[in-house]
Amino acid sequence: MPENENGGAISYSMTPYSGPWTKAHAAHLLRRTMFGPTNQQILDAVSAGMTTTVTNLLQIPAVGLPITYHPDETIASQGAPWNTSVYPTDPVESQTVHSARIGSLIGWMYENINNEQVSIAEKMCLFWQNHFASNATFDARATYDYFALIRTYALGNFKQFVKDMTVNPNMLIFLDGASNNPFSPNENYAREFLELFTIGKGPQIGPGDYTNYTEEDVAAGAKIFTGFLVNGLRSDSDTNVTAVFTPILHDTSTKTLSAHFGSVQVPDGGATEYSNYIDIVFQQDEVAKFICRKFYRYFVNYDLTAAVETNVIEEMASTFIANNYDVLPVLLELFQSEHFYDISVRGALIRGPLDMLYSMVNGTESQNAFSLATDYEMQTYIYGVSTALGQAYLEPPSVAGWPAYYQEPSFSRLWMNATHVKTRFDISSFFTLYTGIPVGGDNWKVNALGFLDNLSIPADPVQVIDDIVDVFCPKGVDALQKLILKSILTNGQPDFEWTIQYNDYAADPGNPVVADPVKLRVELVLARVFQTPEFHTM
Amino acid sequence: MMKRRNFVKSLALASAGTPILLNNMKFQSVGKKLFNVAIGAEDRVLIIIRLNGGNDGLNTVIPRDQYSNLSIQRNNILIPEPSVLPLTTEVGFHPVMGGMKGMFDQGKLGIIQNVGYPEQNRSHFRSMDIWSSGLIDNPPATGWLGRELDLSYPNYPTDYPNATYQDPFAISMGYEVSATCQGLMANFCHAVNNPFDVYNLSTSGSVNDGTYYGSHIEYLTTLINQANEYGGQINDAANAGNSLSTLYDANNPLAVQLQYVAKMISGGLESKVYVLNVNGFDTHDSQVIGGATTTGTHADLMKRVSDAVSAFQNDLMLLGLEDRVAGMTFSEFGRQVASNASLGTDHGDAAPLFLFGSCVDFSLMGTNPVIGNTIINQEGIPMQFDFRDVYASILKDWFGVAPSEIQTLFEHTITYHNLFGACAVGTKEEELSQSKALVYPNPAFGNSTVRFNAQNEWVKIDVYDVNNKIVAAVYDGNLSQGQHDVPMEIKTLAPGQYFVRIQKSSGTITTKLSKVK
Repeated sequence: MPENENGGAISYSMTPYSGPWTKAHAAHLLRRTMFGPTNQQILDAVSAGMTTTVTNLLQIPAVGLPITYHPDETIASQGAPWNTSVYPTDPVESQTVHSARIGSLIGWMYENINNEQVSIAEKMCLFWQNHFASNATFDARATYDYFALIRTYALGNFKQFVKDMTVNPNMLIFLDGASNNPFSPNENYAREFLELFTIGKGPQIGPGDYTNYTEEDVAAGAKIFTGFLVNGLRSDSDTNVTAVFTPILHDTSTKTLSAHFGSVQVPDGGATEYSNYIDIVFQQDEVAKFICRKFYRYFVNYDLTAAVETNVIEEMASTFIANNYDVLPVLLELFQSEHFYDISVRGALIRGPLDMLYSMVNGTESQNAFSLATDYEMQTYIYGVSTALGQAYLEPPSVAGWPAYYQEPSFSRLWMNATHVKTRFDISSFFTLYTGIPVGGDNWKVNALGFLDNLSIPADPVQVIDDIVDVFCPKGVDALQKLILKSILTNGQPDFEWTIQYNDYAADPGNPVVADPVKLRVELVLARVFQTPEFHTM
Repeated sequence: MMKRRNFVKSLALASAGTPILLNNMKFQSVGKKLFNVAIGAEDRVLIIIRLNGGNDGLNTVIPRDQYSNLSIQRNNILIPEPSVLPLTTEVGFHPVMGGMKGMFDQGKLGIIQNVGYPEQNRSHFRSMDIWSSGLIDNPPATGWLGRELDLSYPNYPTDYPNATYQDPFAISMGYEVSATCQGLMANFCHAVNNPFDVYNLSTSGSVNDGTYYGSHIEYLTTLINQANEYGGQINDAANAGNSLSTLYDANNPLAVQLQYVAKMISGGLESKVYVLNVNGFDTHDSQVIGGATTTGTHADLMKRVSDAVSAFQNDLMLLGLEDRVAGMTFSEFGRQVASNASLGTDHGDAAPLFLFGSCVDFSLMGTNPVIGNTIINQEGIPMQFDFRDVYASILKDWFGVAPSEIQTLFEHTITYHNLFGACAVGTKEEELSQSKALVYPNPAFGNSTVRFNAQNEWVKIDVYDVNNKIVAAVYDGNLSQGQHDVPMEIKTLAPGQYFVRIQKSSGTITTKLSKVK
């Protein structure tokens, strides 16, 4: 049962939660770590228990490669991956192929979300896309490699992740690392590396001194990071985009860091100097705290109170450091902690656009399974919707990521405004009551009947409404709303009429005469649920 | 104490205490305004059209007296001299801009040359942030109009809309609200994709139980109610409104949106600002079609803008609304003087900006940029006018905001330009008295500046918190006779209320400072 009480002290304890393990607890865990858990996945998590569920969640399943589906692709074969295919020589044709590849990449990424298993993988990918926020560059292969890197390190070693990201071609282009050399140095990456990617900017305590680092460190970092070029961009002969260290473009002087890093000197280290520097930065425990605060805001609650800082962030950071910056143990601890299951943080976030959209489809077990081209096209349609709602992969608004994850004081409320409310409501009607996404004669919308069939007791209208509310609303809805939902389901008839109707359908599911009315009633209920304020929290 | 004129003053005064009959009131209010000879700032509207991506000013407003050197710099994209639409001996338009030329000839369009800001940033994001916020040194957390609205309506969005303010303060056409209208707590813009859309969103009976969750539910419920109420107002206005021009092209998205705007204004919507957006100006390649430089992407875009704006102006004339509406275009930067090898241009610096409306009282402000006869790598057009001064002049003369209030919105010392002639309702910038000080920007996100007069005397400036404790020592020394602008290093102060105390031999001045995050 959902709990609505707001009594009792908030637990900030990071010791394992040992209270009752109910559907509401399991749903909270899955909602925060997945895009759209189904009723069955929530029930399975209840039976498996917290520890097993968390362990299962913290695995990253393998996914295939993005596949060529668009006729504009003239190099890679239809149905085959393109991530190691050259580009056409002609610049106009090359641009056309590029667009086809970006379309495929988007289709692939959104397919991955739509097909997520009980795993944190997709939520972690979004976390890291937000953290190392970068746009698509003009070579789709480099952009794919950037996402592949994110997936590789989704729960891996953060320190090595930062090292690899520093010399990732997409990032070298996005933050001008590839044009950073001793003759025309730029501080773009060196600054974001400290300010956004690793240690974070503290209060300014002196001229150019941001508590954790200074302008000197930015300037030194710019020199340290010199020497990398990107090869193979849009090449008609290279099958990969690569970062190449070019010694004559590297600043070989000895760089001196500020007192915040012990005033240490970084001598010329050639191709591995950046790695030496990153090791120095990671000696500061503030790196762990900075990243753990971001985990907390993304997975738990936006409000970093003093009590959270002292009890939760400190503990997470010490786990992070003790494990040499491996991500997995930190999240293992977090998702089993008493604090994570404290009622005060349930529903404390407003769903982002991707959470909202894929909760509707994934939550109703609606995986599209037409042809690959159709599936990708449908996902790119959702991509367009997610763009309109303010969150699309490859398009974070700036290198700081989406403001809803960092901007005080509004945080996740920034996902919503009076227009987005209407757009969200329109989209939910479109996915439930109307045609859904039409591509080439196929339509993709919520899977009302499949969803209904897998609820606990589909023939019992009370149970149907309870299950639906459990899946989609973090703290339920009030009794009156439930009654309204049930009367939508039963079309205002006594409960037993629904039971008869459902049983008729169950006996002859292929018969539209009995199936269609059932489907419509469920779609009407879902439309209403998706248009409650409650659904838009998580 | 200067009395501040509310930036957005609704017909509120007329409706306060009287029953609200929406449609009736709208018709009456429009009627009243049409017959009101002395129009104040209360029902004025500003249209802002954003040319997103960085418009190539040199192929928009062509400096005719620089033509021979332009042909050295950008021969592959230059408009042939005979095709240029001459406006004056100095300048001419891109040949697709016949509509705007007509407005120029009728005195309804003004060109401000070389608009930009110091040390132009050539990043789209950064530069658009600067143009939207009007802030360069401070983080662009609020928009220039949002800050002004915050001063008048500090609690927004709590309790809005209400009986006094039934309509959104600003409207952005499309799905996204505009950063220009971002206030401290919320964005004052309501995004409208189609004003004929009917809003009838359901809500729930859940209440705020004091938890994070409860406060979100309350927030979402407020948004839904706001969407319904604003949506209803907009819908009513669009249905009550009219459009009389036959010049709108249904295939021109900007024209469609401007026609919606005309209907909303004529239908009595009290919104003061409409923000529109045209994408696609980032013409690094294929800006023109090779060998046919009057055609291509840039020509299509400028034609769209020129046709749409001139149709809108025609409509305003036919609707009798010309005196109430003024508009401006802007782009985050101009492009470089020399073209590139891909029939395009790369990110540059300053560019011309248009103001339009029958109240616009100048035709050409500023001088043509001087184009050299040799190509200098990455050269842009230097700034002649600061865009923030254009904003400030609009606030002062179009909306009648007091200059002392306008100064608090910006970081730099404002220079006003006369843009609206007889329509200007602005008050003169007053001399700061000996006993007053002005803090700007205020509220401050980062550092701020204090302005005051001294008379060759010792001056000590400190910032105090509410407990009367000094939190920043700003200045201690002698200052000459006259007005001084002293920067205050207060970036690191926690958000809250502070006082700036200026102790002078001639007396002490204390003034408030709000620090926000």
